[in-house]
Amino acid sequence: MKRKREEKGNLFVVPAVVWVFLFTIFPLLYSLRVSLSKVSYGKILGFTGLANYVRMFGDYRFWSTFRFTLIFALISVTTTTFLGLGFALVFNRKIRGIKFFRSLLTMPLFTAPVALGYLGVMMFYEENGPINVFLKFIGMGKVPWLSHPWWATLAICIVDIWQWTPFAFIILLAGLQSISDEIYEAAVIDTSSGWAVFRHITLPLISPILGTVMMLRIVDAFKAFDIPFSLTSGGPGTATRTLTFYIYTQGLRNFDLGYASAMAYFLLAMTMIIGILFFRRYRELYE
Amino acid sequence: MRKKNGLVEILVWIVIAVGVLWVLSPFYWAVITSFKKPADVFRLSSVPWVQFRPTLANWKTEFEQRGPEITRGILNSIIIAVCASLFAVALGSFAGYGLARHKYRRWKNRDLSFWFLSQRFLPPAATVIPFFLLMKSLRLLDTQLALILVNTTFVMPFAVLIMKDMFRELPVELEEAAWVDGCSRWQSFLRIALPLAAPALVATIIICFSFAWNEFLFALVLTYKNASPITVVIAGTEHTQGVQFWYVSTRLLLAIIPPTILALTVQKYIVRGLTMGAVKG
Repeated sequence: MKRKREEKGNLFVVPAVVWVFLFTIFPLLYSLRVSLSKVSYGKILGFTGLANYVRMFGDYRFWSTFRFTLIFALISVTTTTFLGLGFALVFNRKIRGIKFFRSLLTMPLFTAPVALGYLGVMMFYEENGPINVFLKFIGMGKVPWLSHPWWATLAICIVDIWQWTPFAFIILLAGLQSISDEIYEAAVIDTSSGWAVFRHITLPLISPILGTVMMLRIVDAFKAFDIPFSLTSGGPGTATRTLTFYIYTQGLRNFDLGYASAMAYFLLAMTMIIGILFFRRYRELYE
Repeated sequence: MRKKNGLVEILVWIVIAVGVLWVLSPFYWAVITSFKKPADVFRLSSVPWVQFRPTLANWKTEFEQRGPEITRGILNSIIIAVCASLFAVALGSFAGYGLARHKYRRWKNRDLSFWFLSQRFLPPAATVIPFFLLMKSLRLLDTQLALILVNTTFVMPFAVLIMKDMFRELPVELEEAAWVDGCSRWQSFLRIALPLAAPALVATIIICFSFAWNEFLFALVLTYKNASPITVVIAGTEHTQGVQFWYVSTRLLLAIIPPTILALTVQKYIVRGLTMGAVKG
């Protein structure tokens, strides 16, 4: 009787597992095959072995998009984490109405990134856009936000930081709130320095959460597409194309599907390495 | 926990004010731009009625000229996001219940959870090309069904892991009593566990809805016209209207508002949702 019931409980997970096999595993295997083939306009012509992968390592445009993706990830992830931690430390106290402000700060997380990119076009507009007007007001010159490669990179980072700082903020705030007051009270007896308490008590206790935030942010930064697409269209020139952007252009605009699939597998390998590192360290969080 | 200190209190409120201003100002700019006459857009004017006279003209013109396209976009977004989030949460609550209440022998529960979690690390670029070829050969390009399938796939891992946590937090005794009375697992799931998890279920649906609504890459690749959701509609008109920000801002707001407002209703579950259950908020 009990045994029979357990077998039935088994089946609950089956539909979801089947779904993942159909719509994730199967497409990935298919993509592997495409990446090893010569493909012309959607037709698989024949097996070419590793030719697409070899081509990738010799393609300077691939390397420049990869470099841009890394720079973008580095700037965006470190800034969002630091700002988020700062805000979380400030918000972690009993103030009336704090919940309301916390809710307001989570709004950017749920706005469509592609819409934010176009909103960015309005904000960063060089002739009398609000940001340049403000900069002029505090005495700076006109900034070529979208027509200079470095400023365009910065503009993309700023939009991404605007959207994702709340992510770091609310998760770290939840982490801080889970630390009990007694630990602090005990610490205050030993030392009076706020920095010492932060360095030796708070930081070690929230480090797994800090790690989680950074890992998830790195993975998301590697996937970036919407904001460069809408804010700069990858420009000026090709200065702000991310890896995903280049895969999209090669595969679905130029229909060089084999080559694009090979690059997609490279990107997959990168995020999977990050994922494995993540699982190793933070397994217990998901128990 | 810390001593009250007037100066610190003031500094804290300044930081809060800066944060709120930083978050709200882009939204504010989009809203006022949509109510500005074209001549006012490129002037530094940010206070309605004082610095410029607000007008409904942009909204009217936008809907007169592009009404069908915009309503179709919004309708597509609603259909796709609603169906995808319902499918995902249905599959997710089955699987979540299984993972919370059953010990799997061949694959351990933990490994199954990780397997679902690993999807969070999958870059969409890795599956966009095979999906395009697949939908092309199934003749599903430019259909809502294609995007429903895609978005279900992306948001389901969220649903599985959040629902697993939710079911695990329910007391098992109620269900055990029901099993003693002869209820099957299926009956106790439907009649006891699911109703008890209803608030979490609704929150999960809303979070999944927002993610599906905001999805862009697949929508861009798999639709051209008839099934294009609002995210693709705003991207498509940019080239024809250029710097006509007064029109652009109206469309942006239509895409931005629904998920942003909905998300404000699920604050209690947001931290779990974003970390897939790693951090309990």
